[in-house]
Order: sequence, then C-alpha cells, then structure tokens
Amino acid sequence: MQSLRKYYRQSATYKIFSAIFRESISFLDTLGKISENAIDVIKYLFKGGIDKKELIYQCDRFGISSLPITLSIVGMTSVIVASQVASEMVKQGGGNFVGLLMTILIVRELGVIMAGFAIISMIGSSIASEIATMRVTEQIDAIKVLKVNPIQYLFVPRVLSGMIMMPVVVVIASVVGVLAGAVTAKLSSELGYRAFFDSMWLGIYMKDLSVSIMKSICFGATIALISCSCGYYAKGGAKGVGEATTKAVVWSFVAIVIIDMFFAIAFFF
Amino acid sequence: MSIEVKNLVKVFDEKRVIDDVSFKVNNGETLAVVGFSGSGKSTILKLICGLLEPDSGEIITSEGDIAMVFQYSALFDSMNVADNIAFALRERKDLRNKYKENDIKRIVAEKLELVGLKGIENKFPSELSGGMQKRVSFARAIVTEPNSILYDEPTSGLDPISSTLIEDYIVRLKDETNAASVVVTHQMSTITRTADRVVMLYDGKIVFEGTPEEMLRQDTPYTKQFVTASLDGPMHMMTE
Repeated sequence: MQSLRKYYRQSATYKIFSAIFRESISFLDTLGKISENAIDVIKYLFKGGIDKKELIYQCDRFGISSLPITLSIVGMTSVIVASQVASEMVKQGGGNFVGLLMTILIVRELGVIMAGFAIISMIGSSIASEIATMRVTEQIDAIKVLKVNPIQYLFVPRVLSGMIMMPVVVVIASVVGVLAGAVTAKLSSELGYRAFFDSMWLGIYMKDLSVSIMKSICFGATIALISCSCGYYAKGGAKGVGEATTKAVVWSFVAIVIIDMFFAIAFFF
Repeated sequence: MSIEVKNLVKVFDEKRVIDDVSFKVNNGETLAVVGFSGSGKSTILKLICGLLEPDSGEIITSEGDIAMVFQYSALFDSMNVADNIAFALRERKDLRNKYKENDIKRIVAEKLELVGLKGIENKFPSELSGGMQKRVSFARAIVTEPNSILYDEPTSGLDPISSTLIEDYIVRLKDETNAASVVVTHQMSTITRTADRVVMLYDGKIVFEGTPEEMLRQDTPYTKQFVTASLDGPMHMMTE
C-alpha cells in the first residue's frame, strides 16, 4: 500500500493536482489578505487623519510622474487604431463616423484600460517593490514598533492618491487619444478635422464620461491596493521583492480587466 | 519590574522555537540574551515588542513604550535622519498633535546629541556608516522616552571600535533613561560591557542564567562551549 502511495506521489497526475491545489490555496490567501486590507483602508478613509504631505507626494507620483508615459501609450494606441480604421472606413463610405468610433473607443475603453496598464507598469510595480523592500529590511516592523499603523501610514495615502489621480490621468489621456486619432485620420485618409470632430459628439453621452470616471477611480484604488498588499506580504530578500513586484503587476492586470468586464456588462450590455 | 516573560512558547512549522522561557528584567537593568544563531533570540524580542504573538505564555510589561533597535537599523531610507527620528512624534496618533515643529526639531537635536551625532539631521541613511546608522536608530528608538529598550544584535557586523562605541551608548542610554534593556547578542564584548545578567538559549530553552562573570567562569558545559567557541559540547548548530 505504501509503495503504491509512493509511486502515486511521483506520478505526473499527483504533481499537477498538488500544484493546482497549492496555487489555489495561495490565490485564496492573497485574495483574503487584499480584501482584509481593503476593509481596513475603507475604515481609515472614513476615520480621517490622513497625512496630507504624504498624500500630496503620492498624488504627484501617481498622476504627474506617470503622465508622460501614460499619454504616450494612449496616444500611440490611438494612432495605431486610427491608422488601421480610418482609411478603411473612408473607403467604405463611413468616413463621417470615424470620429464617433474613435471617441467611443477611447472614452469608453482605450483611454481607461491603456492608462491602467501604464500606471500598473510604472507606479504599481514601484509601489510594490518599495513596500516589499521596506518589509524585507524590517522598516515595516520598525513602523509597528513605533506604534504607527502601517496600513494607515502606507496604504491609505497610496490608495487615496490612486482614486484622486487616476481619473485626472484618464481624462487627459483620453483628450490626447482623441486628438492623436484626429491627426492620424487626417494623415492616413485625408479625413478633415471638421468631419472627425462633428461626428465625435453623435454617440458620446454623459453616461460614457461618468462610467469612464467611475471605472478609473476603481482602477486607481485597485492598482494601489493590490500593489501595496503584494509588497506588504513579501518574504525573503531580493528574490521576495522581485516576486512581490511580479505578483502585483499580474494581479493588477487581471483585476482591472475583470473590473472592466463588469462595468461593460453593467452599463453597456 | 519592567519586563516579565512567563512560560513563553512560540511554534513555527511544528517546531518549538521558544520553549517555556521565563525571565524578568527590572528598570535600569540590562539582560543579555545569548546563544547560537537560530536559537530563538530575535524571536523573543519580536514577541516582547508585539511583532509576533506567543502560542502560549505571558509577557507582562510596565506601562509605557517599548522601543527596539533592529539588527540592520531598519531606518526609513526615503527619509533623512531628522525625519527618521521624528517619525513617531509626527505619525503616532497619540503624539501627532502634542508637539509643534519647533519642539520636534529640538527633540531630534537633543537625541542626536545624546548618541554623539550632532548636526547630521539632513543626511540620508545611505550617507552614513553602519555604526552611525545604528546610533541614529538608537535616537529614533528613544524619542518617545520608552520604559524598555530591546536591542537585536546591536554590534553585529561592526568593527571593534564602532562596537565599543555602541556598547558605551547602550550603557549610557540605560543610565539616562533608567529603561529595562534586553540585548540579543553573541558577541562577548557586548555581553561583558553592557549586561547585568545573561540568559543563554539553546534549542528554544534557557540553558544558563546568571551574571556575565558567572558565564565567563565556564562552570556549565553550555557556558564552557559558548565562551571557548568550541565545536565539542552539548550545543550543536541547527541545520534546519
């Protein structure tokens, strides 16, 4: 019986199932910790007493420092889409709707999701590695011993700055995206600016703008919360910091796509 | 009495890292906790200051703060020295509105002077030597006037002269603050120059308790092996 068990433990089936089990436990553990931290952050947000200096620093980091990269990514994505779509639509007689299509695409999806990806790569990874380094160098333990709550001190300003600055970044990025689309459409298909901007308003409503803003607030909070949490529970040395950063990026990417999907189902289905 | 540890047990992965440990440290007294690496010394400090929860047993501390000086200083590397020391005064809920910025500046300057580092407020931790970082972490630890100070291997990795300097500051801080101090170390000079009493841990248990002089007399196989740094004896390096 024992040799049978030993034989089974060496089999590929056992290894695959045990790996799936381990990963599932790890996934649920991370999800639980993030949810727990989210509850604490909400509690401290309502309690007040937020360090304003730290909040301003984090807002600058989240919004201003990331702006050049975010605008470049959204702008270039818009150029790519417009160059593919504009000439084809003009050829098919749909030139009057290029502005409408590009604007809907950018305001509803591209602006928010591409800005989210840019913020994750630049700010989320930086937050995760910063907090993970603080964890492995005992700086978080020092915060606790000095009787300062690390969730309140580290998480709250970062999450709040994400909620404040992400919509700002998204609005600016969407404007840049639409302008880049108009210029690209003009250059690639000789579609006039007037035709582009006239059609722009045909299908854009306040609902689109407000959903985009709500979504960006959710994205900002989620990216900051996941990045802080992954860094906070880092273990080991340099390897642990690397793993925490990777985990923060992967989890944030997946989370914002899931949130985006729920928004799409809830508001546009 | 300032710190009393009663029948403390801490288990990690089914191993009793701290196994029924009890001791007392009075105000104005320094206790050295010694032993091999991995014998549970640092775990005791983390249990006393609340970073870890004991599985059983009791830790009784008199009212007031417990400060800790970490092995690698644990200074906030994104802040300058002044902000590191002022951290608790600015961020702790009960102290946040107690001090004005001018008071904080004065307190920071006082603490820096106490550890012999006057005028380095604007330097960042990365600009300081290991010994200076340790002394800044002393200043940060005592900024809230704690009743108990815990030192986690305060002289490890330092040259002999810096070690002597740090040992002098441990004694000086004890005299100035009358705090109960626990020093985790395996450095003989730190034991003899700072401690009033010594407890030796092996495999999570106390195997010797006495004064540094009694430890140096090597009356037990444990103290003999530790003092002579011999491989032969009842203590074996833990491999896991």
